[in-house]
Amino acid sequence: MNTQALKEMLCKMGDDALIMGHRNAEWTGLAPTLEEDISFSSIAQDQIGHALAMYTLMHEHLGEPNPDIIGFSRPETDFTCCHLVELPNSGYDFSLIRHFLFDHAEILRYKALTNSAFTPLAQVAAKITGELKYHILHANTWVRHLGNATEEAKARLQTSLNTLLPYALGIFEPSIFEQALIADGIFIGENALQTQWMQTIAAILKQTALHLPDVTTIQPVYGGRRGYHTEYLQPLLTEMTEVFRIDEQAEW
Amino acid sequence: MYGGGYIYDPENKNQAPIAEDPEKLAEFEAKIDNGEKIEPSDWMPYEYRRQLIRMIEQHAHSEIIGALPEGTWITRAPGFKRKMALIAKVQDEIGHGQLLYAAAETLGKPREQMLNDLLSGKSKYSNVFNYPAKTWADVAVIGFLIDAGAIINQLANSKGSYAPYGRALKRICAEESFHLKQGYEAFVYLATGTSTQRAMLQDAVNRWWPPIMHFFGPSDKISVHTEKLIRWQVKMDTNDNMRNDFLEQYVPKIWELDITLPDPNLRKNPETGRWEYTEPDWDEFFRVISGNGPCNKERLDVRRWVEESGRWVRQALFKPNEIYKVPLA
Amino acid sequence: MSSLDPRINRLDLVKTAQAENIQPHQHWETYEVFVQAKRGGHHTHAGSLHAADHDMALIFAKEQFARRGQCHNIWVVKTSNIFALNTEDADMFAENNEKKYRNTGGFKVSDKITQYKRSHKHTQPDETD
Repeated sequence: MNTQALKEMLCKMGDDALIMGHRNAEWTGLAPTLEEDISFSSIAQDQIGHALAMYTLMHEHLGEPNPDIIGFSRPETDFTCCHLVELPNSGYDFSLIRHFLFDHAEILRYKALTNSAFTPLAQVAAKITGELKYHILHANTWVRHLGNATEEAKARLQTSLNTLLPYALGIFEPSIFEQALIADGIFIGENALQTQWMQTIAAILKQTALHLPDVTTIQPVYGGRRGYHTEYLQPLLTEMTEVFRIDEQAEW
Repeated sequence: MYGGGYIYDPENKNQAPIAEDPEKLAEFEAKIDNGEKIEPSDWMPYEYRRQLIRMIEQHAHSEIIGALPEGTWITRAPGFKRKMALIAKVQDEIGHGQLLYAAAETLGKPREQMLNDLLSGKSKYSNVFNYPAKTWADVAVIGFLIDAGAIINQLANSKGSYAPYGRALKRICAEESFHLKQGYEAFVYLATGTSTQRAMLQDAVNRWWPPIMHFFGPSDKISVHTEKLIRWQVKMDTNDNMRNDFLEQYVPKIWELDITLPDPNLRKNPETGRWEYTEPDWDEFFRVISGNGPCNKERLDVRRWVEESGRWVRQALFKPNEIYKVPLA
Repeated sequence: MSSLDPRINRLDLVKTAQAENIQPHQHWETYEVFVQAKRGGHHTHAGSLHAADHDMALIFAKEQFARRGQCHNIWVVKTSNIFALNTEDADMFAENNEKKYRNTGGFKVSDKITQYKRSHKHTQPDETD
């Protein structure tokens, strides 16, 4: 098994989940209704938990340092998250559409990984898939409702969808280890994942008044998987690690 | 989190007492004397309903406003465990607000009206949340000590006569035990950590001590008003008793870690068995409650932002023809 | 104004310094939530919540009423679809425990059996044999 390929894959999955969870947790206490606040906060917690799970696999099986060090003390260039998760929050429409696009990719990815040749990951993936079912139910319910509601709601969702789609395609930026991962039976590959994802989100969006732009004309936003990031990641990391950096050796 | 013993009730002094049907009142009081609970559909005196709405509503506001000082550190919590626990804790505060608004709604005041009264300043929340959370150590102090105070208050109130409030508080108290545990753990890690961590913690304790002493409310004068609320099992204990319980349970836990408290007179009187302390500055308490604390404006501005920025979402799914019914429990 | 919370500094609080009143029912209608902790058990009332319809009520109920501990299923029912007896009439139930013919405690035969055995002892084989 190509451990370099595996490490790279676990790291990008962990980084995506950590940064997405961090952004979504910015809504905790501030969401449109109390009930939604609770639901969306759980989703953020789950995502941070998924990051912890991936970093724990890296620590326990691939000789990486403990998860807190991986999450809280790497430089920006070592992060391999996609740009989609880095973008700052704006309206709730933006966060809901991002959640819809991101978590559909997540559930398909983790479902595929339940058959991974790397069995510790397959076991974790089975548990995570259960949690992601709720994320999908939540995202689909909101998108179906708001996507068929007032003109304002439809316009907001459509604008967010148009803005976020190029970034969402960046989730599937191929790895240089793509063929090794497929050959080793670790993962089905980003290409296959993207095809499944396109079918799923198109089917949901069809049930709404929203229009899915033609992805063949869209330039995906790549670079995150190779350590190139938006201007928003470094400030996020600086903020996230502010307390931790006071003393990285201390127990907090 | 967080009832606090003080019920803000500015109108009460000028209000003429309502004449209640003496037979119904006697039946109602007999029920309470029997230890029976009052359900939303039961007959209840006007003043009982009014005081409960005030109290539960104020408690609910305290939860959703109380989410803000700790929320200050959500994006900066150090490490996975603290980050996830803090988000879960702030989530619980919102959840408690949700449960408490529902309990108050059973008495006939809609959630929208309660939120309007919060934003207009007509209705108050626990004063302690008008103070800023300046460092990470504040999160540990709030999670440990404010939640500890809240548990004392809420455990007492959970035995009160109004059933929906009691039911909500039972669940809330169970979740507060998690808050207290996670707060205490974060507190102990700082207290037993590096000199920087200890200094942060001591500074936070010093700043939070006066609001904590205010938390249970001013010393109760046993007025007719208080007596009636105690008789009706709306108020379950005096503010001074609850403050004393708090000191009894938690001061030793602070002192054993060599963290000091900024009150030279704080001690347990071995003869009376009660704690003695410098009387908190109640002028400061009333100054802050009437809107002049360090964070009052920000707290309400943020809640206003929440309502305004979420308006389009609620409007999109609003069905004007639905018939509103008061929730059952 | 600068907040200590970086999240708050990213919001545009100035725009919302003046808020309109929240109109009645803007937070939607209420649903009652029933949680089944385990397969095979009863769904038990857990509380109520505000939601725009039953689909939304279900996604909210899952996290507000079942985010800790065991849960197998959830029902939501619009509050206005629940009908209850008047609690003032609870004395309808007062005699329940008096109706012994409905309860196991109302049927005791051991005295009869003992008495029977005692009076027929000579015709019965000895039990201790």
